[in-house]
Amino acid sequence: MEINEILAACMFGSFILLIFSGFPIAWVLGGIAVVFTGIALLSDLYLDTFIAMDWSYFSLTIERIWGTMSSWVLVAIPMFVFMGQMLDRSGMAEKLMLNVSRLFGRLNGGTAIAVVIIGLLLAASTGIVGASVALLTLLAVPVMLKREYQPELAVGTVCAVGTLGILMPPSIMLVMMADQLAMSVGDLFMGAVFPSALLGVVFVLYIVIRGKLQPHVAPAGDDAEPVTFGIVLDAIKSILPPAFLILAVLGSIFAGIATPTEASGVGAFGATLLALTNKRLNLDVMRDVCRETSKTTAFIFALLIGATAFSLVLRGLGGDEMIESALHNLPFGPAGIVICILLLTFLLGFVLDWIEITLIILPLVAPVIHALGFDLVWFTVLFAVCLQTSFLTPPVGFALFYCKGVAPKSIGVKTLYKGVMPFILLQVTVLAIIFIWPDIVTWLPTQAYGGQ
Amino acid sequence: MTASSSTDRPELEPAPQGLSGESLPHTAISRALDGLIQRIGAASAWLWPILMLVIITNVVSRYAFSEGFIELEELQWHIYSAGFLIALSYALLLDSHVRVDLVRERISYRKQAVIELLGILLLLGPFIGMLLYFAVPYVIDSWTMNEVSSAPGGLSSRWIVKSALPLGLTLVLVAAFSRLTRLLAFLLSPEVKHGN
Amino acid sequence: SLVAATISTPSFAEEKIRWKMQAAYGSNLPALGDVIPGVLEDLKEATDGRVFIKHYEPNKLVPTLNITDAVRTGKLDAGYTWIGYDQGKIPSSVLFSAVPFGMEPWEYMAWWYDGEGQKLAEDVYEKNNVHPVLCGLTGPETGGWFNKEINSLEDIKGLKIRYAGIGGRILQELGASVTVLPGGEIFQALEKGAIDASEFSLPTVDKQLGFNRVAKYNYFPGWHQPFAAFHLIVNKEKWDEISDADKKLIDLTCQAAVARNLSRSEAFQGQAIKYLEENGAETRKLPEPVLRELEKVTQTVLQSEADKDADFSKVWESQKAFQDQYQVWQDLGYLPRDF
Ligand code: NA
Ligand code: NA
Repeated sequence: MEINEILAACMFGSFILLIFSGFPIAWVLGGIAVVFTGIALLSDLYLDTFIAMDWSYFSLTIERIWGTMSSWVLVAIPMFVFMGQMLDRSGMAEKLMLNVSRLFGRLNGGTAIAVVIIGLLLAASTGIVGASVALLTLLAVPVMLKREYQPELAVGTVCAVGTLGILMPPSIMLVMMADQLAMSVGDLFMGAVFPSALLGVVFVLYIVIRGKLQPHVAPAGDDAEPVTFGIVLDAIKSILPPAFLILAVLGSIFAGIATPTEASGVGAFGATLLALTNKRLNLDVMRDVCRETSKTTAFIFALLIGATAFSLVLRGLGGDEMIESALHNLPFGPAGIVICILLLTFLLGFVLDWIEITLIILPLVAPVIHALGFDLVWFTVLFAVCLQTSFLTPPVGFALFYCKGVAPKSIGVKTLYKGVMPFILLQVTVLAIIFIWPDIVTWLPTQAYGGQ
Repeated sequence: MTASSSTDRPELEPAPQGLSGESLPHTAISRALDGLIQRIGAASAWLWPILMLVIITNVVSRYAFSEGFIELEELQWHIYSAGFLIALSYALLLDSHVRVDLVRERISYRKQAVIELLGILLLLGPFIGMLLYFAVPYVIDSWTMNEVSSAPGGLSSRWIVKSALPLGLTLVLVAAFSRLTRLLAFLLSPEVKHGN
Repeated sequence: SLVAATISTPSFAEEKIRWKMQAAYGSNLPALGDVIPGVLEDLKEATDGRVFIKHYEPNKLVPTLNITDAVRTGKLDAGYTWIGYDQGKIPSSVLFSAVPFGMEPWEYMAWWYDGEGQKLAEDVYEKNNVHPVLCGLTGPETGGWFNKEINSLEDIKGLKIRYAGIGGRILQELGASVTVLPGGEIFQALEKGAIDASEFSLPTVDKQLGFNRVAKYNYFPGWHQPFAAFHLIVNKEKWDEISDADKKLIDLTCQAAVARNLSRSEAFQGQAIKYLEENGAETRKLPEPVLRELEKVTQTVLQSEADKDADFSKVWESQKAFQDQYQVWQDLGYLPRDF
């Protein structure tokens, strides 16, 4: 190994080590970038290397931040966050939960199925995982426990379904990926529709089958009322608002009325109107939504700034070429390389979350995938499913954290880990299905371009 | 793992984990500086509904009146970049930046405080300091060159939006400095209980 | 003894050059992006690895639009770009890179090497701490991809169009609603009708990007860009540091690149247009009255730019003078175009 390659490896290693210090990841990334620029300078001076990296090279970070500032695509991120926060307070989810679960009350696993359906609707109208998981946990877990569901199944369902929002468009993760790879946001959005729907279907199938085989894990409630016309009508009425939002946002993107950025603004506006019609909007709520949007947006963009410096310095050390040649030299065919990358991503997902992986790993591996002749939309969606799974994998899993935060005291960490296990397996199964049948991803985007 | 909490509603708030701003003593300096960051952060949060309205206006004018405005398109990312840059310090104040709490939850507050102190001095400080050092000439350059948008009909005076970068970075340093004084006060004060 | 001295003292020209250079176009784009990797390879081979300029793909180090900025401020040693992107800071840059209703490509080459072009560009850019070397030249781009027909000026009014640079300004004068969508969004916006038209590049490049799938009409001629010039830009201090021999070597390699690039960009456009036609694109020509009107507006817009910026005015005057004298030769020397 050349000295610069050793430094690149050390840089990545010290990042993984230092995040466990508990210091915010964004500053760890940026700080390491500064330190390794200094080390490269010293190495050129004293070890007679020729890395040719200096402070003026590091200062390219400023140009890169300016690139982020002037990105029209990324404007969608705070707007989708705003939309999610507003929706969270609009009372829409509570109404959905109440009315949809009455529809399935008499079925084994009925409440869990209702959770999946509500989760899908929430996912397609917004994408704030934390909010979805917390809401579903708060609303549905006590009900399921009261109906004597196996606690593992109850929490596993809400965690898995709650994370669908990050994959199902509109998704800030896909916006970020499109920006990183200079792809079309619309293409990625369309590519992710069927995979995320497929995940929902697989979750429902799993619950139905388990409910049939082991009725005691998900019993129908004794208190369940018979389904009347009124109940159906209520359910339909409560589905209308999210349906309207999905139409406004995804509909306007797919129909070409608006770009994804514009659609994010339209969605934020729609959510505000929804809160207004539900009489939930007042100055306090608005202030809350604004501040929460600021906080979430800030932590995402802090990571972006830290990661852009980190990637730049890693590239200066030749880290890019190192990874590219390592991937190309793997003793497998092209498909094997993709599997290796996905496996690595899955493993990294245990400790890192989607933002770091999207910002650091995705730009490193995408050129290799492209060079191998794979469809980049297909690969990116596979990558996205992998990252969605990272929300569920302990020890660092957002969904687990949010669920634990609001679940009844009786739910322990063990229950949670056991509960998400089957869903992680389901996710991996769907990943394999998409891998084998790429059409699930590529069909819809191709359809959009006049059938060519 | 701590992340920005999804909401202010207490029942959705995750259990407090690790050392946070709430468990640190205030200093005279930190009270003044935190107040400033808080006010600026809270005020800048109103940029988001403004951004929303600008987008809506642009969409409506394009589709209803077939009249597009590059100015409005550019204004969108001007507002957005000012919004996220100013929010960086606000998020620092409110402990919203993502961290891995795995080890953190298991060590004493004192150790956590030492780590945070070192983190600010060795990682955050140098990083933000270096960025600020390069960002200031970047803005001055734009100002002296009288930079305008290269888009037809785009906004002029690019230096204004570019100034958001050194402004945001300065605020981060201010917030970090304030936190530093609180960490020192905590570590140096003998009578504080260093709970876990 | 003179010979001995030359041999014994390590000559200036033996110093290693190690530069980082980012290109504005991916090396996979025919004629647009595949020029510079060849140039750098040639330099390396000709000097046995002594002159090594490391090539970075677009956006690897800085956003494409910021390449000149990064070179100017010494953050990057060199860049390869269409310097018209600098018009927000250096208004005259457009004149060196593409001028609506401007020169033919070889006419530009003549102005650059044998007229005042190179000198003027060096003056303007060296004020900005950048040394420009002409290092790529192509003929016209297509006039753009449209989903609406253009039969008169009326059709331009209210047209939602993505058009960069001065060309966009001109269309805006004529009532079009101009946007500057990022590259990745053009496709979908065009397909879905969020915009009605967009310009992009040479037919060979447009073919590779598949514009025929999302737009009906492929309009010609490329009035907004009869030539497109690309430059290797080097930080002035870095340029001054190297030996005259190395400067000469870089100049020569780039001159060869200009010739090769022009030939490469001219070679396969007919084929590409044919392919595009066979795959759904309808080739159209802008009606002459529309072109006449566009030219008129172009003159007004360029004049207003010249009024605002002294360098712009100086370069434009030089180009006009050169074009005037060239016109005489073109009219007399060349066969009329319908032969
Ligand atoms: Na979503
Ligand atoms: Na994880």
